[in-house]
Amino acid sequence: MDEEDQHKVADLIKELVLRLLSRNPNSDSQQPTNSNSLAFHNSLRYAVRILSSRLTPSITSDSAAIAESIKRRLATQGKSSQALTFAELYTKFASKTGPGSVNNKWAVIYLLNIISEDRKTIKSQLDSSVLLPNLPLKDDELGNVSPVLRGRGKQEKGWNNGVLLVAKDPENMRDIAFREFVSLVKEENAVSEEVLVRDVLYACQGIDGNYVKFDSNADGYVLPDSIKVPRATRIMVRKLCELGWLFRKVKGYISESMSQFPAEDVGTVGQAFCAALQDELSEYYKLLAVLEAQSMNPIPLVSDSANSGNYLSLRRLSVWFAEPMVKMRLMAVLVDKCKVLKGGAMAGAIHLHAQHGDPLVHEFMRCLLRRVCSPLFEMVRSWVLEGELEDIFAEFFVVGQPVKAESLWREGYMLHAGMLPSFISQSLAQRILRTGKSINFLRVCCEDRGWAETATEAAAAAGTSTRRGGLGYGETDALESLVDEAAKRIDKHLLDVIYNRYKFKEHCLAIKRYLLLGQGDFVQYLMDIVGPELSEPANTISSFQLAGLLETAIRASNAQYDDPDILDRLRVKMMPHGTGDRGWDVFSLEYDARVPLDTVFTESVMAKYLRIFNFLWKLRRVEHALIGAWKTMKPNCITSHSFTKLQQAVKLQLVSTLRRCQVLWDEMNHFVTNLQYYIMFEVLEVSWSNLSNEMEVAKDLDDLLAAHDKYLHSIVEKSLLGERSQSLYKSLFVLFDLILRFRSHADRLYEGIHELQARTESSLPSREKRKSQKQNVRPSEPGSWISDGRKALTQRANEFLRTMGQDLDAIAKEYSSLLEDFISQLPIQLHVDLKFLLFRLDFTEFYSRWHPTT
Amino acid sequence: MPREIITLQVGQCGNQIGMEFWKQLCLEHGISKDGILEDFATQGGDRKDVFFYQADDQHYIPRALLIDLEPRVINGIQNSEYRNLYNHENIFVSDHGGGAGNNWASGYHQGKGVEEDIMDMIDREADGSDSLEGFVLCHSIAGGTGSGMGSYLLETLNDRYSKKLVQTYSVFPNQMETSDVVVQPYNSLLTLKRLTLNADCVVVLDNTALNRIAVERLHLSNPTFAQTNSLVSTVMSASTTTLRYPGYMNNDLVGLLASLIPTPRCHFLMTGYTPLTVERQANVIRKTTVLDVMRRLLQTKNIMVSSYARTKEASQAKYISILNIIQGEVDPTQVHESLQRIRERKLVNFIEWGPASIQVALSRKSPYVQTAHRVSGLMLASHTSIRHLFSKCLSQYEKLRKKQAFLDNYRKFPMFADNDLSEFDESRDIIESLVDEYKACESPDYIKWGMEDPDHVLTGEGNSTGTVDPKLTV
Repeated sequence: MDEEDQHKVADLIKELVLRLLSRNPNSDSQQPTNSNSLAFHNSLRYAVRILSSRLTPSITSDSAAIAESIKRRLATQGKSSQALTFAELYTKFASKTGPGSVNNKWAVIYLLNIISEDRKTIKSQLDSSVLLPNLPLKDDELGNVSPVLRGRGKQEKGWNNGVLLVAKDPENMRDIAFREFVSLVKEENAVSEEVLVRDVLYACQGIDGNYVKFDSNADGYVLPDSIKVPRATRIMVRKLCELGWLFRKVKGYISESMSQFPAEDVGTVGQAFCAALQDELSEYYKLLAVLEAQSMNPIPLVSDSANSGNYLSLRRLSVWFAEPMVKMRLMAVLVDKCKVLKGGAMAGAIHLHAQHGDPLVHEFMRCLLRRVCSPLFEMVRSWVLEGELEDIFAEFFVVGQPVKAESLWREGYMLHAGMLPSFISQSLAQRILRTGKSINFLRVCCEDRGWAETATEAAAAAGTSTRRGGLGYGETDALESLVDEAAKRIDKHLLDVIYNRYKFKEHCLAIKRYLLLGQGDFVQYLMDIVGPELSEPANTISSFQLAGLLETAIRASNAQYDDPDILDRLRVKMMPHGTGDRGWDVFSLEYDARVPLDTVFTESVMAKYLRIFNFLWKLRRVEHALIGAWKTMKPNCITSHSFTKLQQAVKLQLVSTLRRCQVLWDEMNHFVTNLQYYIMFEVLEVSWSNLSNEMEVAKDLDDLLAAHDKYLHSIVEKSLLGERSQSLYKSLFVLFDLILRFRSHADRLYEGIHELQARTESSLPSREKRKSQKQNVRPSEPGSWISDGRKALTQRANEFLRTMGQDLDAIAKEYSSLLEDFISQLPIQLHVDLKFLLFRLDFTEFYSRWHPTT
Repeated sequence: MPREIITLQVGQCGNQIGMEFWKQLCLEHGISKDGILEDFATQGGDRKDVFFYQADDQHYIPRALLIDLEPRVINGIQNSEYRNLYNHENIFVSDHGGGAGNNWASGYHQGKGVEEDIMDMIDREADGSDSLEGFVLCHSIAGGTGSGMGSYLLETLNDRYSKKLVQTYSVFPNQMETSDVVVQPYNSLLTLKRLTLNADCVVVLDNTALNRIAVERLHLSNPTFAQTNSLVSTVMSASTTTLRYPGYMNNDLVGLLASLIPTPRCHFLMTGYTPLTVERQANVIRKTTVLDVMRRLLQTKNIMVSSYARTKEASQAKYISILNIIQGEVDPTQVHESLQRIRERKLVNFIEWGPASIQVALSRKSPYVQTAHRVSGLMLASHTSIRHLFSKCLSQYEKLRKKQAFLDNYRKFPMFADNDLSEFDESRDIIESLVDEYKACESPDYIKWGMEDPDHVLTGEGNSTGTVDPKLTV
């Protein structure tokens, strides 16, 4: 601004004020205002103040818009010709450029417009005072009232339409200050912000910029110290470049994994993870591309921000980067976490980060997990519906191992806890494992095809398809329902197959009937025909012959009506024998369960059955022996009544010995019979009815296995075959052996008596015999019995009966002490409830009465 | 080796109850009246070969011999719808058809006369079986044929098949009404001797008690023979269920009887059955649980042997053994509970000289016979109170014997010729010692019984009521 202009302006204002004052209709004085008057000075000062103020109208400074609005107003008032004229004039006015022309065209037009409108209002209101802002005349009003307050006062007076025309001053102080600032900035910065922004953008793509470079020492992108930038900028650049560092990390992981891919440690889940990350990165690339384009725009000065396009400053960049930063940070964290993991473990690790309150993070993680888990869920799906273990990289939480068919169920497949992602619960995992296992079991062991239909049904019921990719992360409910449906149906199908096609119940029953001796007539007959054979030393027995006898026993008993398949599985088994073993010690029956039932009847299970068989067989043998003894002393035997005419002393001894034998027999028989009843009612039948009930409600093979294990366990424990019953079991066997010894004694006793009888008879035929043969002959006198041999016979009989009596007494004594010992042990067996047995043995309190200590 | 059992039905009564028995078995096994297996009965799991064998044309034929000295009953059978069931070679009717005239001696003597014919039949049956378990004799002890000829057959079987079991179902006469057979006490006594010496097990079917049960339990005002016989056939078939439906235990007769008869002499069994129904009679259906059944079986009113014991004696009477055969759908755990309850309530008195308990055999019910009851039970028991039945026989015999009444009929036959009545005396001694032995069983010192004073038992005269010197029972 040169001096001349200054003066020119001041003069022009003076002139303007003078003119206005002179024409002011409100002024009282008619005398021409001179330039020296007080009023003039006040007005002048005021005018200058208005003009130098920076008040601007609240309209955009667009000349074309004002012109247009004027034109339109004219047109609406019906003065179209004037409008056309105005348009023409305006075009001319606007086109005038260059020196001497009006600079602020819009301001001029605006001024003119205002004035014209003011005129119209004056016309209507006849108020000339509104023509221009009324310059206050009263001096006293000026001194102590601020302009603002004054303005308010005017408003109160109704000066609503007062317009403050503010002209922009290009030589404004602010502008000057900005210019000075910019130059200052340029002075301080060796590099311009645009360049820095571009560098940062490069850095964020992992590329070194001109200035911002990766520094491996600092492990990050830094602006070298040599470049002079303000501290704030430096920090900002550093912060922004964190994104670059994170990007490098993520990118590095992806490329590393991808290059390794076919090798083992990545796996499909890892691949999916990489792909998901890659997708995220391409989103990120898009953003960077946009930003890069924007960074080409120069950074304007603050003053001309109004008409500058999109540009990027570091600050703007930091806003842009806020979201990618969060994501990238998450990704980097995940990358760190997952470096050494794979498969389910990886998914689980990622899942742990998904629990986040920030919806952005949450959504991001959810999307990522959907991608990551999709191979995992696909594995679950194909495992549950098809039984396929598509897991070449060992990522699945179900692990298979090659085993024999019989142990497929128990050992074939395991849960791998490490690979179980935490969003799949343990119980769900178990069900998943079992369902697939069931399918494989059906396929391998049962050679069943029906499961495929069942699986389709299950999928339909669960509302998913058997196609791939039906499930995803976050749909654990859907997964659970799929697994439930599949499990329910597959398990049911499996049980159907086991029950109906493989006749599990029938085989269980067959085992109960043959190995647990439930088929009484068969067992009895077998005992009858193999008995003589088994009394031979074990090494002389041919198992072929026994097999033949077994066959005979089957044919002769009701077993012959049984399913031939069942009978075919029943075999004779000779256990390994030592020297001195009798056939009794090594003989047993075995049942060939075959695939798939050998899953239930495993070798160890069959070994238990074998032990039970041996025990029951022994018990049967003892019973058999006792029955045999009874047969020799049965009521209509000659021994019971044909000695009425013997010598008194001998007879007494005979009666006494026989009675002792009978009573001892009764006691032993009571023991064995009640033990048998106990075994039958309390052990076998009760366990069996439990098993039957549990079979009814069993939902899957595991239930069935558990039920059968329980059944077997209860039999073993209650039959005193358990670990903790060993001492009882031993005393039981001692008792058994004693009973067998008693049998041989009893046999000898009766043999002796028969012999005695035969001798007596030969010398003196019994009365009955005689009677039936020759009724007419009167019996000889009792006295005539005494013959020469009589005395010797009596003596021998006496001798024999005495020794037999002593033997029996010894056995009876041993027996009662053993039995007392056995019974006294029963109540203290804490692990198994034997009170039923005790109750039966001591039903009449015979033992507790005679041996109150027990 | 089905452990076959051959049934001998001797005399009028024997053939009647035998026929009822076979009817019942045919029903239970689904065998038609002609011996043909019904179509519905092919999957039974039952054992028919114990009591039947199959002819070449697959007909089931009972292992039964029908023996009588008069043709009336057997003709009736042969004219009934079951005529094709039996093997006609197994039917024996004496040529003269005159019967035994209710005379034991006549029956016995005639039995001896036809021994060869009958033993041929028995041998043929025995040879036809793989492992003969024994014989079952159905007869009454009061008449002539069943008692006399039955006695002879018992002796012969005992002699010839000494290793085989001989079980009898012996019908004891009704003591409540005057019998048309005045010599009934003689016949009974003589038969009882054979039952004591030559049978392994005697199931006592007391007509007195059967009538009482028919009147009291079944509310029949005047029970017919057919009705009491149906009771008998129920008992007979029930007592053989464990043989016919093999289970874990009690699958042969010897196993069944051995535990019931620990002392050889005391082999007379009482029976009880519940719930009882007769054909075409809608009875009140009671709740049947194992406990109910087992408790009812212990009630004397359900026992098919009358007890003539006086109250004091009755309270001393003891069970030597009990076997309950429970048929039907039974939860095995209920058995134990029932036993426990019975013991708590002290419903049963057992011998004190040895251990004893109620044995329970669970048996299947025939699927072809519909019964209104879920559970039914048969009790076979050896009880010392049965001695009162024998004492009664003894006392009635003594009465007649004192009068020397009706002995002439017996003297006609060789056994009693020349007025040799020692057979009577011997029989009386034996029955008396039997009564004594039962009495001794009531004492805890049974083991020592007969040792101190054997003469007393074998030579002493028991009084007419059958009581023994009290010092023995200490």
